Formats: sequence, structure tokens, C-alpha cells
Amino acid sequence: MKEMKQWKAMAAGTAMAAVLAAGTMTAAAEEEVTITYANFNASGGQEETLEAMYEAFHEEYPNITVEIETIGFDDYFTQMQTRVAGGTAPDCYELNIENFAAYANKGALAPLDDLDASGYNETALSAFNVDGTQYGVPGNFSNVVLIYNKDLFDQAGIDYPTDEWTWEDALSAAEAIRALDENTYGIYQPVTFNEFFKVAAQFGGSILNEDKTEFTINSEENVAAAEMMISKITDSNVQPNDEQMSGMGDWDLFQSGRLGMIPTGIWAFSTFAEGCDFEWDICVEPGQTQKATHFFSNALVVNADTEKKEAAQCWINWLASSETAAKMRIDAGWDLPAISNEEVLSSYLEMTPPQNRQAVFDSLDYLEVAPVIEDYALMSDIITGKLAEAASGKITPQEALDAAQSECEAQITLQ
Amino acid sequence: MSKKKKQQALIRSVPFMLPSFVGMIIFSLLPIVISIFISLTDWNGLDKLNLNTLSQHFVGLENYINILTTSEFWKVLGHTLYYIVLYIPLVFLASLGIAVILNKNMKGITAFRVMYYIPVLTSWVAASLIWKWVLSPQYGIFNQLLSYIGVRGPSWLTSEVWAMPAIVLASVWKDMGFFGLFLLSGLKMIDTTYYEAARVDGAGKIRQFFSITLPLLTPSIFFCMIMSLINAFQLFPQVMIMTEGGPNGATQVMVERIYTYGFKYFKMGYASAYSWLLFVIIFVLTVIQMKGQKGWVHYES
Amino acid sequence: MNRKVWQNVRFYTVACLISVIVMIPFFWMVSTSLKSKGALMALPIEWIPAEPTLDAYEKVFSRFPFLRAMLNSLFITFSYTFITVLSASMAAFAFTKIRFPGAGAVLNIYLASMMIPTQVTLIPLFVIMNRLGLINTYPSVILPAMFRAFGIFMLVQQMRSIPDDFIEAARIDGASMFRIFRTVVLPLCGSSIATLTITTFMESWNDYLWPLLMLTDKNKMTLTLALNSLNGQYGTEYNVLMAGSLISMIPIVIVYICAQKHFRQGVMAGGVKS
Repeated sequence: MKEMKQWKAMAAGTAMAAVLAAGTMTAAAEEEVTITYANFNASGGQEETLEAMYEAFHEEYPNITVEIETIGFDDYFTQMQTRVAGGTAPDCYELNIENFAAYANKGALAPLDDLDASGYNETALSAFNVDGTQYGVPGNFSNVVLIYNKDLFDQAGIDYPTDEWTWEDALSAAEAIRALDENTYGIYQPVTFNEFFKVAAQFGGSILNEDKTEFTINSEENVAAAEMMISKITDSNVQPNDEQMSGMGDWDLFQSGRLGMIPTGIWAFSTFAEGCDFEWDICVEPGQTQKATHFFSNALVVNADTEKKEAAQCWINWLASSETAAKMRIDAGWDLPAISNEEVLSSYLEMTPPQNRQAVFDSLDYLEVAPVIEDYALMSDIITGKLAEAASGKITPQEALDAAQSECEAQITLQ
Repeated sequence: MSKKKKQQALIRSVPFMLPSFVGMIIFSLLPIVISIFISLTDWNGLDKLNLNTLSQHFVGLENYINILTTSEFWKVLGHTLYYIVLYIPLVFLASLGIAVILNKNMKGITAFRVMYYIPVLTSWVAASLIWKWVLSPQYGIFNQLLSYIGVRGPSWLTSEVWAMPAIVLASVWKDMGFFGLFLLSGLKMIDTTYYEAARVDGAGKIRQFFSITLPLLTPSIFFCMIMSLINAFQLFPQVMIMTEGGPNGATQVMVERIYTYGFKYFKMGYASAYSWLLFVIIFVLTVIQMKGQKGWVHYES
Repeated sequence: MNRKVWQNVRFYTVACLISVIVMIPFFWMVSTSLKSKGALMALPIEWIPAEPTLDAYEKVFSRFPFLRAMLNSLFITFSYTFITVLSASMAAFAFTKIRFPGAGAVLNIYLASMMIPTQVTLIPLFVIMNRLGLINTYPSVILPAMFRAFGIFMLVQQMRSIPDDFIEAARIDGASMFRIFRTVVLPLCGSSIATLTITTFMESWNDYLWPLLMLTDKNKMTLTLALNSLNGQYGTEYNVLMAGSLISMIPIVIVYICAQKHFRQGVMAGGVKS
């Protein structure tokens, strides 16, 4: 409750400042307008933060009223698709990266003309640009770092990971930790498309060719990447297989103190800070021929049919890039705003654990954008399915990627 | 029946039929008819749904041909049938057992009735989370119990062989109270004088069960068979939460595919065609059951 | 006497054994809801939380206007259940006891309507509701109760077992169809109607996707909708989820216990039949 008040006080203060400085941010229209905004990102605990952000916004733009709908993640996309098809979608809403391209390509989203894009992180912004048209702004931002259990590294008597590590370094450390105990494992990295496209990039490969006209799933680099991901389960077993995981989640395994390293999202910090009774820290993910790190961002978009486009764009732009919203987002420990102003982000660095929070920002230099295509979900499922078959030892990584390549070519037409 | 009597019956039935009939037309038949049209298009499920969209996207029977010529459809149908073959006999036996126990006039029977119904009242989200833990190969209680009788339990949900039986197990646990309750209400409708007469004739408990209880319960049993078949073909939430169709597609079933195509891959036309093929299968099997009922279901005494 | 005792022992052993099987997962739910966030994943599994806490319950109550959501849910569910039971029993009566021409065909259409997965009729139905101007109104979630094929088919099945003589006898006495329906047929179907009431109540209470689509106004939000906003993109707090699920089970359990009394009465008690 106390924190809540702090936000509000701070929000009011910064809002004043923003109004004074807002020469470029001309208020949308002067007449009173009410818009609807649907999101899933605030569900599960941040509804109040979003509400406080809106209050700050409304002070700045008193003529714009926003009706906020916060919906649980699980059925969000089913309901959104139904409302879009039924012609009653909200004026503006949130989409994850998997669904964004489909909505944009099918004409459900309004192009964001005259967007003041100066404050955004460029990589994140570019993820929502389809063939030169900006259809969404990055509403939030999370990336992936290597989180490691310091105690296990100490027990194994090996050095802590550094930002310069390659996969060879990571795997030999993993083996040393695996040797500690039958139920202790070196590393956990899910064998899924999401991990794969990034590791492929670390090995110099990619899922699509440069202009996204052809699949390059079974390239030599990609096969090397898949072999590394899978052999650490099937051969060296420094990563537990499904049976060894026994239905446990990867975070749970880390929190139980039996996992040395886990490349995972920075949204794990608050959970680990609360749940781990050992020392842990982070660094930039290991690379191979080059560094590449994951990032996740949800798009805030405007409904193509809305009559209140200006107000809707004003609200999502403010929510995604204003300093006020950015500060509130950081202070609430929600996730990061996708903005370029590192000064605003600095308060984020002061929170511990982890000690080496700087690694979060160092990782930004190597962001790898997901290969967004219209049939993203289908491509992702095909590749994940084949990789899982390889991980269960039924086929080799080479065979898996060959099969994925031909299945994607058969089922997906690239523009 | 004479023509006049028929007319009279029709008129008398109108006020009784009106609410359900109107509801059926608006909330069920109309959407179903629209979905037939959708199945003949390549509509993506995002463009605004109206006649114009549908006629622009018209592709004829292409979806049906595509589905029937892929191996996936037959594989998924096989998984669904496998589930049904395991699930129906088990859930039926379990619910009959429950109904017979709950029909006893013993002290504290109400408490048992409430307890046996609790799985039905639990949401699938909670139930499948619980089952994930119960079936966890290393930490789960199920394999612990198996180890006491010297059996090494499999890694249920991550094994291609055991994932489907595990889903069956959870489904039987969840549904047996539901059908049990229904069979119980059937048992309650049996006139107790039959049993008295049988006792006078010197029939034992077991003979009473087979010569009175079971025959008179057949209408309820028939209902359970029809409903469980229709429901089983449409199993969905437990699969989505427990395995999401995995491992390696071993638990992909019809409605899971329909949902995935319609709402994940944006192929609503394809998903609708899938549904209509599912409809044909359920319909044929239900008609067979309906025709067969004359041989074994006893209405009235 | 001894045999009686033995029977009792046998009955209670079997009944309790089943109770354990049925209740273990439920017990796990209760125990998870009493854990703190950190203790959720302790190994070996804690069947009884070492440090039980009511944190999760506090969170459930503080995250949304609980009372408002509860009242909405009660209003919607009671209306829905009432309409379902009334409409279904009326239709079943017409199907089995009036036997109007074409009854068989209509019943088959009713039954066939259950064989199409709702996933593909979702968008068409949404469009229809929109055309009718019902979106964001309570009727949009209540009116579909008018047609519930499951309930109709279930009651048809039970009413078939009621001998036609009863109806004929009442007809000869000059009773109207509605009177026969109300005073003869309904009381004879007590246990089935109780079953239908419970299942309908439960389904309506737990229904999620349809109310989510129809009721976008926060003031009309149901409890199930509110609870579902507890699951987030980056994972779910299981203790809070379990606490919420347990709270939302309470009304259903109460309705279930109330309906019990209709099971206890032997329905075809001697008086009616002779």
C-alpha cells in the first residue's frame, strides 16, 4: 500500500514535468474521447501499476479516458481473435510477438503514422515493423541472461561464468557441476524453437534467409547448434531429460539448488530473489561464433477499424515510451520499458540480487530478433516438434532439421 | 393416431417446445449452419465474418480433401479412438460402482456423496496440475504406491506410450462422480417393491442386481453411453493443460487440432472442416447406438 | 447381528478407500493454497505445509472487487440454471408425453447439435450476439440457457420411464397439460432434476470463455473471470490459483448439499404408484 502511494506521488510530479517539456507530444485532440485498451501483461499482479500509469496519463491528457481490460494470458488470444473477427475489437490492445505478424498481415492493425519513435530501443521497435510500415510499439521488454548458482560453482571449484564465455566453456563447467551429485545438473535450456533460433544465431545460422523468402532451417550452422543443444541431454547428460525432470519446472529445479546454470528471462529475478537460499548472479549468455541474446517484447497496437486512432496511438505511445510510465514500470519490478534512455533505466541497476545487473544492458548489444513471419506459430510448432523427437533420441539432429525444413516448405508460403 | 389428434398434439406441444426451439435456432443451429459455410472457405478467422468475406474466400471442398489426404487426420483420429476405448469402459465401471455404494442407506452417506462429487466440482486447471504432480515419475505419489508392490512406474506424461493412459486416468477420476450421480438418480427411480418381491422369491443380492437393478437401469446407462461418447470425442481441456498434445504428438486429439488450426494457425476454414468430419464420425456412432438400444434398453416396467 | 456388523465394516472400508482416492488431489489443493510462494516447490513434496499461511487467500481477496464479482456470478448462475431446468423439462415433457408429430426428428436434431465442437461455432455465435445487440449485457450469458441439449436429452431419458397411465388418468380427471406437467411429471423426476440443477449450476459457475467474450464491463465481471486474471504471461502463482479455486468451489458445494435431499427421497414412493 505504501509503495502504491509513492508511485502516485512520483507520477504526479513527473507528469507535471512531462507536460512542461511536451512540445513534441501534442495532445491528440481537444474534444473528450473514451477509448478501450485490452492487455494481458498486467494480469497476475500488475493491475494496480497499470491503473496508476493510466492515472498519470489522464492527468497529462485529461480529454482522453481509457477503459482498461486486463485479461489472463491463457485465453487472451482466443477472445481477441473472436472480437476482431466479430468487428468489436478494442480501440487498442496488446499482442505477443507470435501473434503480431498474423494480425498485421491480415489487415487487423492500423499503421502508426507520424509516430514519434525517437525514444524507443531500435531493435525492439524494428520487431513490429512489417515491410517498412510500423504497426505496433514495443510495450515492454525482457531479455535473457545466463543465471548461475554461485554455490555450485564454488563447490565444483571452477570459475564463475563471464560475458566472454563460449558454449565450450559453459559445457565444461556444466560437466564439473554434474559430477558433484547424481541429482545435480549443469545447465537447463529448453529444446524449443524459441531457444533454437537464438542458439542458431550464436552459431552463425538463421531460420530464414535475409529477405525472408526461403527457409534455411537445415543449414550447417543450424545443425551444429541443434547438435550442441541436444547432445548435452542425450550424450553428456549435463542437462536432465524429461524423465529426470520428472514434471518439475526448470525454475523450480534452479531454486531447489540442484542446477548450475539456466539461460532464462530477466523476469525470473524477483522469483529467484525470493525463492533461492543460495548465492546467484548473472552474465551475458554464452555465444559461439558470435553473441546473440534473446529478447521478448509485446506489441501495443491500434485496431484498424477504430475511429479514435489518434487518441489510441497517443495512449499506447505514452504507455510504451514516456519517462513517467517507464519509471513506474521499473519501480514496480514489472519488466523493462523498451526505451533507449539509459538514465531512466539506471534505477533498475541499483536493485540486487543479482549483483551484476549491468549484464542485462550489456546483453542489449547482441539482440536477436525473432524470425517473424505470418505463419510464425505453425513454423514454431513444426520445428519444436522435430527437435523434441531428436531430443528423445529417435532421430538425429540432422534428420530433425531436414524434416523441419521440408515440412515448413510444404506448409508455409513465404511472401 | 388420427390426423385431428396429431394436430391437437402439435398445438398442445407448442408452449412446451417454444423456449428450447427458439433457443436452438438462434444459439445453436444458426452458428452451426454458418460453420458449414466456413468449412468451404479458407477464411483465416481474423477478417471480419460476413457473407462477403466468406464468398471471397470460397474454396469448395478443398479443406475436406486436404484433411482426408494427410496422415495427420488419421493419426489424430486413432489417438482419439484409443482414448475412447480406454476411457468409456473404465468410467462406466467406476461410476456404476459409485452409484451402487451411494445408493445404500447407511449412516454418513451424505458425506460420501459430497466427497465423491468433489472431483467433478474441481476445475480442470486445478485438477490437471494436481495430476501432473501425482503422476510425476520421481516425486509423485502414484509411482511411490506402485513401488510398494514392486512395480517401477513409467514417466507417465512424458512417455509416448503412457501419456494417453495417464490422461484417461485423470479423466476417469474427474468424470466418475458425474456419471455416478446420474446412475444414482436412475437407481432411485427403481420401485422398491420389485426387490421385495424378489426377496420373497428367495433371490440373492447378486441375482437381484442382474435381474432387477441392471435391466431397470438401462435407460440411464444408455444415456451415459451416448453422452460419454459425445464428450469423449471432444476431449480438450485436460489435453491442453496436461500435455499440450505431446510428447511428440502422442496425445494430439481431434478438438485439440481444431483449436490449434482455428486459433493458433489462423486456418478457421480448415478447422471447421475438421469439425464437420468429427461430426460425421460421432453422428454415425450415435445412430448405431440409437438403433441398437431397442435390443437392450427397457423403458417403463 | 454379526452378519450386519460385517456388512457395515465392509461397506465403510470400501467407501473410505474410494474417498481417499478421490480426495488426495483435493487435499493437495488445500495444502498448496496454504503455502507461501517459496515453499511451493520444496522437495520432497510437503503434504502438510511446514509453515501454513493465509497469504494466498489475502491476495485473492485484495486483487479484485470480490463481493461484486460474487454477486454477478450468483445472479447469472441462478438465472441460467433456472431457465435451463424449466426449458429442458418442458421440452422433455413434450417429447415424451405429448409425442407431437415429428418429435423424433426434432429430438435427433437437438442431440446432433451437441456433436459440433464449440470451438468452431464460437465466432459465428459471437457475431450473432453482436447483431442482436446483446454484447455486454447479462442476457448474453443467460439466454443461451434456453437451449441445452444435454439437459433435454437427460430428462427425456428419465421421463420415458414414467408410465403413460399416470398422464392418461390425470387427463381423464380433466387436468390441463400444464397441471399434469407441474403436479405429476415434475415431482416424479425429482432426482434427475436435482442432477441437472447441480451440473448446470456448476457449468454456468465455471464458464469462462463465453462470459469473457460477452462481458467486457468490469462491473459485470464474474468470479471465474476475475480469478482467471490471476494467471500471467510469465507463469502462475499456484498457491493463489488454488486458493481462488477453493473459494469458488464453495457455492457449488452448498448447492450440491442442498440438492442432496432430493436424492434421499425414494422417488417412486408407494403412494404414487399402485
